Amino acid sequence: MADLKPIVLGGADERDLTKLAEYEAIGGYTTLAKARRALPQAIVEELLTSGLRGRGGAFFATGRKWSFIPKPDQNPNPHYLVVNADESEPGSFKDHEILARVPHRFIEGCLITAHAVEARHIFVYVRGEYLGPFEVLRDALEEIRERTDILGDATIIVHRGAGAYICGEETALLESLEGKRGQPRSKPPFPAISGLYASPTVVNNVETLATVPPILQMGGEKYAQLGVENSTGTRVVSLSGNLERGGNYEVAHGITLRELIYDVGGGIPGGRQLKAVIPGGSSTVILAADEIDVSYDYDSLAQVGTAMGSAGVIAIDDRCCMVQLGIRVSEFYEHESCGKCTPCREGTRWMTQMLRKLEAGEATETELDLLLDVCDRINGKCLCPLGETAAMAVASYVDKFRAEFIAHLEGGCPFGSDSPLDAVLAPVAQHTHSPVAVVPA
Amino acid sequence: MSAGVSAPELVKLRIDGVEVEVPRGTGLVETAAVAGLEIPVFCYEPRLGPPIGACRMCLVEVEGIPKLQAGCTLTAQPDMVVRTAAASAKAAEGQDATLEFILVNHPLDCPVCDKGGECPLQDLTFRWGPGQTRMTFPKRTFDKPIPISPTIALDRERCILCYRCTRFSENVAEDGQLVAANRGAMSLITTFEDEPYCAPFSGNVIELCPVGALTSTQYRFQGRPWEIQNVPSICGLCPVGCNISATTREGKVRRILSRNHPEVDQGWLCDKGRFTYPHLYATDRIHEPLERVRRRGLGELSWNDALDRAEDLLRGAGGRVVTALSGSETLEQAYGLGKLLRQGLGAHSAVLPEATSDALDAFRAPLSAIARAEHVVVIGDERVADRAPIVDLWIRQARRNGARVDNVFEPRLDEELERRVRDSDRVILVWSGRAGGGGARLAELAHRLGLEGKDGSAAFHLPATPNGRGVAAAWAASADGEEKNPEPINLLIVSGDEAAADPAVRALAEQAEKVLAITMFQGLAVGWADLVLPGTSYLERDGTFVNLEGRIQRLRRTVIPPAPDELAWIARLAERFAVGLSPHSSVVFAELSGLLYGEELSYDDLGERAPLPPRSAFEPPQPAPTAPIPPLTTPPEEHFLGNLRLQRFRPLFSGPAVERVPELQFQRPPAEVELASEDAERRRIATGDTVSVRSNGSALALRASVRKDIPPGVARVAQEHAGDLGAAVEVARMSNPSSPEGRGTA
Repeated sequence: MADLKPIVLGGADERDLTKLAEYEAIGGYTTLAKARRALPQAIVEELLTSGLRGRGGAFFATGRKWSFIPKPDQNPNPHYLVVNADESEPGSFKDHEILARVPHRFIEGCLITAHAVEARHIFVYVRGEYLGPFEVLRDALEEIRERTDILGDATIIVHRGAGAYICGEETALLESLEGKRGQPRSKPPFPAISGLYASPTVVNNVETLATVPPILQMGGEKYAQLGVENSTGTRVVSLSGNLERGGNYEVAHGITLRELIYDVGGGIPGGRQLKAVIPGGSSTVILAADEIDVSYDYDSLAQVGTAMGSAGVIAIDDRCCMVQLGIRVSEFYEHESCGKCTPCREGTRWMTQMLRKLEAGEATETELDLLLDVCDRINGKCLCPLGETAAMAVASYVDKFRAEFIAHLEGGCPFGSDSPLDAVLAPVAQHTHSPVAVVPA
Repeated sequence: MSAGVSAPELVKLRIDGVEVEVPRGTGLVETAAVAGLEIPVFCYEPRLGPPIGACRMCLVEVEGIPKLQAGCTLTAQPDMVVRTAAASAKAAEGQDATLEFILVNHPLDCPVCDKGGECPLQDLTFRWGPGQTRMTFPKRTFDKPIPISPTIALDRERCILCYRCTRFSENVAEDGQLVAANRGAMSLITTFEDEPYCAPFSGNVIELCPVGALTSTQYRFQGRPWEIQNVPSICGLCPVGCNISATTREGKVRRILSRNHPEVDQGWLCDKGRFTYPHLYATDRIHEPLERVRRRGLGELSWNDALDRAEDLLRGAGGRVVTALSGSETLEQAYGLGKLLRQGLGAHSAVLPEATSDALDAFRAPLSAIARAEHVVVIGDERVADRAPIVDLWIRQARRNGARVDNVFEPRLDEELERRVRDSDRVILVWSGRAGGGGARLAELAHRLGLEGKDGSAAFHLPATPNGRGVAAAWAASADGEEKNPEPINLLIVSGDEAAADPAVRALAEQAEKVLAITMFQGLAVGWADLVLPGTSYLERDGTFVNLEGRIQRLRRTVIPPAPDELAWIARLAERFAVGLSPHSSVVFAELSGLLYGEELSYDDLGERAPLPPRSAFEPPQPAPTAPIPPLTTPPEEHFLGNLRLQRFRPLFSGPAVERVPELQFQRPPAEVELASEDAERRRIATGDTVSVRSNGSALALRASVRKDIPPGVARVAQEHAGDLGAAVEVARMSNPSSPEGRGTA
């Protein structure tokens, strides 16, 4: 690990790369100049060779996504590059760091990508709560405002979100950008054909774009040698939860989850034992403590029934109650559900109600099975993954810790208020109920 | 970009093992229907725009795709294999799950909910949903019902958030007043800023709503679907002639629903057509004939006596009779009156509020052609939504489909516009204003622009009366004979409420010795009519109307009127003058159609959704013969320097029927004067200011409204607020003593 040179965050420890002069001193924006002299198609090819896959959570091959943009004779509308900087997945805070520490590398990635997909407008949709990174980004953009050699004919628009996790879903993001309610659209049509303003649009994650300049600098083939097959390159992983050293760490795919938790993260403090790990943000299936000898890459995690998601690793120790965790996760999805599709809107609230009853020790085993059936009825029926991942995540807590859930049936929560979930997942403190609706607890 | 119309490619696919062949791109819901299969839906409604796949009711299994798909978002593709809930356990479970989730927080209101018995949620739950609930927690509640307008009640607990209402408000009526607020399980439907939903098409959300969340306050608790009858008829309040069903219970009309003629109204109604039926039960409704008693009183008399009096009036007039028609009589009524007066008495003179013409028959098309236009030009100085509201919806749809829409105040197209029109395919012209000669002026323009030869092109004149053209044609056909100038007028016959309320007809009445009025409302007749015979509403008559397309549509008697149908007593009077006239409208229609169209038609020939007659060849309109009696509403042209020409107009929600419906008073026109921005600027007037509007001897204080859809030099005031103002008016700010600038808020 020590000998891995960071790629996305490279140079940020040694210099203040939020400053244009510092970034240019290490060769910043020269890759952009070279890319602009190349054909867009050549850049797409290079990205395909690199095997870079989207870092937002869907892990879709970036070069392939760019190649879906139609030719002008197929579709005369202008092209748009939209950056999904609406990082809101519980456990994931890597884009925060990337924007706050290497904004110019990110900007360079945006400009190269805009050239590759022939877009003249770049929209950066930043999570509203990320005031700090927004200010850093804004200042960095101010630095290049007069630099037409950098900007070229591109226009960069930064738009701040207003507190909706669902606006991290790409089509909901586009709706929000267009001034409408942030609710996902049916796909097809896909954004590459009909995205922002019904025009061909590429939506990419912050980290994905920040990886583009290093890839072009070192060459796609070289990048593909890092990591493992089907999960090339490096990843900025957010470690949090009951760990000694939480934070963002850039690692190569192929590191094991055990290494991430114990070597990189420093293990569980206070002599406690690891109980469970959420591997990729709260939308992923949980792993028990004996399942962490798995390589942190797409295929390996899929084989054990979970996913890398947005690379937010949350370590949970043995003081934590899995039912309380379930409530907290379920409350999050209930609060963030956009309300467009029936199963998510009604199902996430019903799940929370059942979990609360379980925690209070008032449920029966039939109701526990009802909870699983409701999760089953949500899964595969929703308009977007929000509802479905909520159901799959909560169902996995029951599956893997069923004994604990059963214990609640008999005598209430064995962990009680000693379960320190605040270190694991923040409560939905702004869980404001509409003043006109009466919601029973 | 013009889309050529070519034969669509047909594709074969299998649904539940049944093979179907449909044009490529047909929606899957419609394709299943072709196969005789149901894919249940809530949020899917093609008239509201592209499908959104929100409710998840239509989940189906598609071979090759592991996840269930929302069937409404799919279109027919070659060799597709689809399994609906009837053939796929997975899809059945998905649909059952959707209904279970909808019902989890849906209140058990069925016993007190107006939608019960005609409720898609009830029906689909029986067909595709769970029989028992597993929900044991308290449901989320809201304050209810909330009146979002005097005509519509909102129950947020029942709402299943299908977004049909918000999509209608945003994408069809484009008023943007009904919106969704909050998020997730807290979502609710509300009006923008909690203002009342005040827009001409708001009532359509009641029919769109698949549950009892949006209900009609007029129809609240009025009956259950098994106690009512829906009588098919035509709305008679404007020249569009939307196809309606009148819901009746125990002999009274309780509500109006759309019957959906795809070429005329597409299933929409305006709020006037939907909510005005209570005028049938107005407190001043006349049930018995009345005669003038003393100076301003009216006393009842029996029908026999009334007919005797009418005969006396007619005989005593010595042929100096003028008939003022409303243009809302049925063809049969107008024909009957014509036969009685013209054949029986030689009283050939009649006046209508507007000129009529056949010239536009050469450019005839269904209103639905507007939606496919490439270029729409609206000519005139009155709003389309005031004259023929549904046409406004068609024009909005055209614009959403990519058409260019131009508005010009006068029928003089500038060079650039004319060039564009000539270069476009599928051109639609619409005349919405006065002095159109009943369509003659528009026909001349359309002919000059070469519209006959252009595919998909048409021209529509928007009349001011619902059946003016039909009435004029029926009157003309009823006898041969020249109009004379019967000065002085001995007897003025006023047919219909609109004529009775028309100030120009009142002016004519002052010149007449005697007045016989046929009207529904006592308030309209008192003080000036000598004999009043009770009128009926369009909802109470069998007969036909000709709409602005030239389509003949059949009205049905939906309830029995409190007084005999006009045709019945006209026929009895006609007997006394040896004129043969049947009291049965179907017989009269056959006779009249023989004269007008060369063949005797029956109502069956019209059918439930009347067809549009084909176009005729263009004939240059003949100049109108000089009428002995001047047309009623042409104002004299006086222009004083610095003053504005007063344009009186009839807003949609005006007229004797609307005035008598309490729930519609909030939509009635405000006491406003509309000004163009340059005239307002010159006078330093902003929207909201109180201004004085004065002409010789008369002055009014009105609220100013500065608008873009009004030509400069014109001050526009609703007829009912214009009082005695003359043709030219001075408009000036009224200074506010407390603040020297006195500017009101916009």
